[in-house]
Amino acid sequence: MAKVSVLNVAVLENPSPFHSPFRFEISFECSEALADDLEWKIIYVGSAESEEFDQILDSVLVGPVPAGRHMFVFQADAPNPSLIPETDAVGVTVVLITCTYHGQEFIRVGYYVNNEYLNPELRENPPMKPDFSQVGSLYLGGVQPCKLGVKVSS
Amino acid sequence: MDHLRPPIFSVDIHPDGTKFATGGQGQDSGKVVIWNMSPVLQEDDEKDENIPKMLCQMDNHLACVNCVRWSNSGMYLASGGDDKLIMVWKRATYIGPSTVFGSSGKLANVEQWRCVSILRNHSGDVMDVAWSPHDAWLASCSVDNTVVIWNAVKFPEILATLRGHSGLVKGLTWDPVGKYIASQADDRSLKVWRTLDWQLETSITKPFDECGGTTHVLRLSWSPDGHYLVSAHAMNNSGPTAQIIEREGWKTNMDFVGHRKAVTVVVSSQGTEGDGLQDSLTCLKRPLVVIHELFDKSIMDISWTLNGLGILVCSMDGSVAFLDFSQDELGDPLSEEEKSRIHQSTYGKSLAIMTEAQLSTAVIENPEMLKYQRRQQQQQLDQKSASTRETGSATSVAGVVNGESLEDIRKNLLKKQVETRTADGRRRITPLCIAQLDTGDFSTAFFNSIPLSGSLAGTMLSSHSSPQLLPLDSSTPNSFGASKPCTEPVVAASARPAGDSVNKDSMNATSTPAALSPSVLTTPSKIEPMKAFDSRFTERSKATPGAPALTSVTPTAMERLKEQNLVKELRPRDLLESSSDSDEKVPLTKPSSLSKRKLELEVETVEKKKKGRPRKDSRLMPVSLSVQSPATLTAEKEAMCLSAPALALKLPIPGPQRAFTLQVSSDPSMYIEVENEVTVVGGVKLSRLKCNREGKEWETVLTSRILTAAGSCDVVCVACEKRMLSVFSTCGRRLLSPILLPSPISTLHCTGSYVMALTAAATLSVWDVHRQVVVVKEESLHSILAGSDMTVSQILLTQHGIPVMNLSDGKAYCFNPSLSTWNLVSDKQDSLAQCADFRSSLPSQDAMLCSGPLAIIQGRTSNSGRQAARLFSVPHVVQQETTLAYLENQVAAALTLQSSHEYRHWLLLYARYLVNEGFEYRLREICKDLLGPVHYSTGSQWESTVVGLRKRELLKELLPVIGQNLRFQRLFTECQEQLDILRDK
Repeated sequence: MAKVSVLNVAVLENPSPFHSPFRFEISFECSEALADDLEWKIIYVGSAESEEFDQILDSVLVGPVPAGRHMFVFQADAPNPSLIPETDAVGVTVVLITCTYHGQEFIRVGYYVNNEYLNPELRENPPMKPDFSQVGSLYLGGVQPCKLGVKVSS
Repeated sequence: MDHLRPPIFSVDIHPDGTKFATGGQGQDSGKVVIWNMSPVLQEDDEKDENIPKMLCQMDNHLACVNCVRWSNSGMYLASGGDDKLIMVWKRATYIGPSTVFGSSGKLANVEQWRCVSILRNHSGDVMDVAWSPHDAWLASCSVDNTVVIWNAVKFPEILATLRGHSGLVKGLTWDPVGKYIASQADDRSLKVWRTLDWQLETSITKPFDECGGTTHVLRLSWSPDGHYLVSAHAMNNSGPTAQIIEREGWKTNMDFVGHRKAVTVVVSSQGTEGDGLQDSLTCLKRPLVVIHELFDKSIMDISWTLNGLGILVCSMDGSVAFLDFSQDELGDPLSEEEKSRIHQSTYGKSLAIMTEAQLSTAVIENPEMLKYQRRQQQQQLDQKSASTRETGSATSVAGVVNGESLEDIRKNLLKKQVETRTADGRRRITPLCIAQLDTGDFSTAFFNSIPLSGSLAGTMLSSHSSPQLLPLDSSTPNSFGASKPCTEPVVAASARPAGDSVNKDSMNATSTPAALSPSVLTTPSKIEPMKAFDSRFTERSKATPGAPALTSVTPTAMERLKEQNLVKELRPRDLLESSSDSDEKVPLTKPSSLSKRKLELEVETVEKKKKGRPRKDSRLMPVSLSVQSPATLTAEKEAMCLSAPALALKLPIPGPQRAFTLQVSSDPSMYIEVENEVTVVGGVKLSRLKCNREGKEWETVLTSRILTAAGSCDVVCVACEKRMLSVFSTCGRRLLSPILLPSPISTLHCTGSYVMALTAAATLSVWDVHRQVVVVKEESLHSILAGSDMTVSQILLTQHGIPVMNLSDGKAYCFNPSLSTWNLVSDKQDSLAQCADFRSSLPSQDAMLCSGPLAIIQGRTSNSGRQAARLFSVPHVVQQETTLAYLENQVAAALTLQSSHEYRHWLLLYARYLVNEGFEYRLREICKDLLGPVHYSTGSQWESTVVGLRKRELLKELLPVIGQNLRFQRLFTECQEQLDILRDK
């Protein structure tokens, strides 16, 4: 049974400039007190083609987690633009928020992120070399693609 | 009203008739939904948008929910599902709204239902759950063939596990007076168990003999008057019926007929005139109502409404229908009192229906009981008053946590949030608790929450929590109580410089217990609340950079401790208790016996440890402190760490024995006797090896002691001291001069003419003694044993000289000499084996019992068929894939083991499965390989045999299988023709 379930993920500052940090307010619920910390990660999918361009923006331990409903803000720096393939700089990509317990991933929340130039002119004629300072990010909405069981050895 | 169309497996109306629950498949999990009843009953309510239809949905179940059942009191809801779990739900009052995250359309839950217990015991899907009439027991049944009786007063205690069914148990019902419980299973039996001793009362099989096929559920039911038990899925004259079993003598004379297909659900109308309904049905042999064409798919569950005049029916097609009957259609319903009167008149007393009214008139026969009753009444009164207070405050608090609205908290969350760094430099956030699990014990719940300041906290503390929460063990009130006030402020002080905005909270919270503690001391109570406090302090203090603050604090605290003469009073138990409360106190209590210099040392170690995993260590510390000084402990630990990686794999070595006997085989009877150092010739001790084979005996002497021996029908070999290995023929003739092993022997094994030696340094060698060649040359087991502390639990050498290592983690590897690789041939935890369903491809039951090395390694318990049945909710494609993968694994494993018999068995099975499921490409590839080039060419790499079997012969065996599926007629003719050509050649 899922001891931990995500109640809500709110994206703070949406839309925001590309270079501003990601801020997710995550509320989750835990039905039994956890012995160890939960590990949360924000992964920026640089390119849909390959996992190679996935950037782990940050990972953080969250604890202690007694039974009940909890909330925290997970802030991570913006992705490193130099690691993003130029062809994928503008367009829709995905930010994943994952939660692991004892190294086992059991929650994965995905957000579509639409990166586009704020300036309409640039939008029409995007420069060859992406100019990230002109790019804004818009979160399109969350999906919770998977929920897995955590084996708690007790 | 649906779950967006995934199947609904169960429906149950709440005893008060205001709501009902459904259970079924959610999007990626099981789903339990609680619905409002009034929109179903009244059309006006349905249209009124202000009346919520869905009250709460819970998707905590990981897999499909097969059953939901309200307790008779209506307080709890139990749900059981494919995830093998039973969850017990209770209504909870929460602060703030709740949504089911990730579900489309974020519907807010109107009511909050919390999982209060998770019952884990079943090893398979839970198919049905049932509350006993008096709510003291909860029964659950599962595809693991068992029924489990849980103590509903004290979850998760198990009262009994009822074993006896040999098939998947798919339905349960309690006798309304609580004397029996009946279960029905796929083994075509209905079993009635006594609740007195949980033994089998009777097993009824006759009506089910004719049953073919299986149904998803077998929901049987007891009539409300207790006279009749109505079973599902019986057969009479090859027509499906619902069998009626009489309570008297468990006779099976009557049944409900009229169904065209199997009956899956029977629910006796609760509260309806039992006799009337049954008479009309049984005597007239006509169904009362015939309802058909209501659903697209089969009906899974039925629940009667409170007044007994309506039913809710749920179906596989994902919908629930409400059927309303009029009084004259069904007859007059019985009231609860009437029902209970009937029970009393027929059975004397009833476990179930002890209503309030009856309770008051019941005579209490035991003075202890009277005391207990009084106490209970008192408690109820207290609870009631407490709960009124609670609800009072709770409503005023809605959406507000300690004087702040949820919005305010959210605004400041980032600023307020406590963030620390662990030793390895990782960020660690302490989450803000916004709501507590409110399941009865309000005080504990309240105390775990972090932002506990402001007026609310104050009032809560002073009003009703303070008398309850006092934590201290009454046996140690003095020492403990005295230490409290002094340690608490210390902690607060140490926390102060750390967090800035947090600071206010912690001050508030800490000052409260400090103020409270004196009054608290004398009252014995539970320890939880205080612990919660303390754990919070430890978290807070972690925010401090640590050591400096603490060390500066300790001396003063120690002085105070000394002043209070606590030191000598500290017994080990106190020490343990106090230190488990908070690690800050470890350095305080410890100095009693140690010098101050040492104290500082300890504080340092405490600090060091804290950085890593603080909470664990706080528990760990007291133990280590009381046993030995931490310095030595860490030194030891370091030594361990150092030695661990340096240590090479080392397998156990057999010690020298004076004499031993070894049975090599029983048919023909053959045994080896070893006697070490029996004779002394010229100062040299000799050891004797004797071998007896079917009465014929031979013996020989060796100069060193024999450590271990092994033999087969062809060879006998012994390993001696000084790493010597000697090999003898069956007649005792030495075949080889002694072999010098690279390291001492660990295990020796012979099969046929193959000798396998496993040395202590974990190297493996296999020789073919007759052909005098090496099969496996000093192969290291490092690759399969590396990493963890696994051991070799069993070794095996096949007839073809292939060594197989069974490891302690359930995996088995064989060494492939031609590739020089270790190949995984068996894994006990292999989920593929559990998911694979190839029953349809099995030629007959006994063909499963294919013996050979693979069967020995994997064990004969091939319950794959049974396991696969658990997966009926898994999409067929998934099962196909797993089955294919599993069968391919088996074929490959048999091939690696060079077990021709098993290879043939699994290849045929695999081919049959491919044919049945229509996988042409793979089938074609197999045929191509088996057929080989028809026209002979010298450059061909094709081997005409595989593990000693002629491939074309195998193909001939395969042809009739391929012919079974018309889709493959081309392939069939192709192969047939080419084989004919080959034969003609």
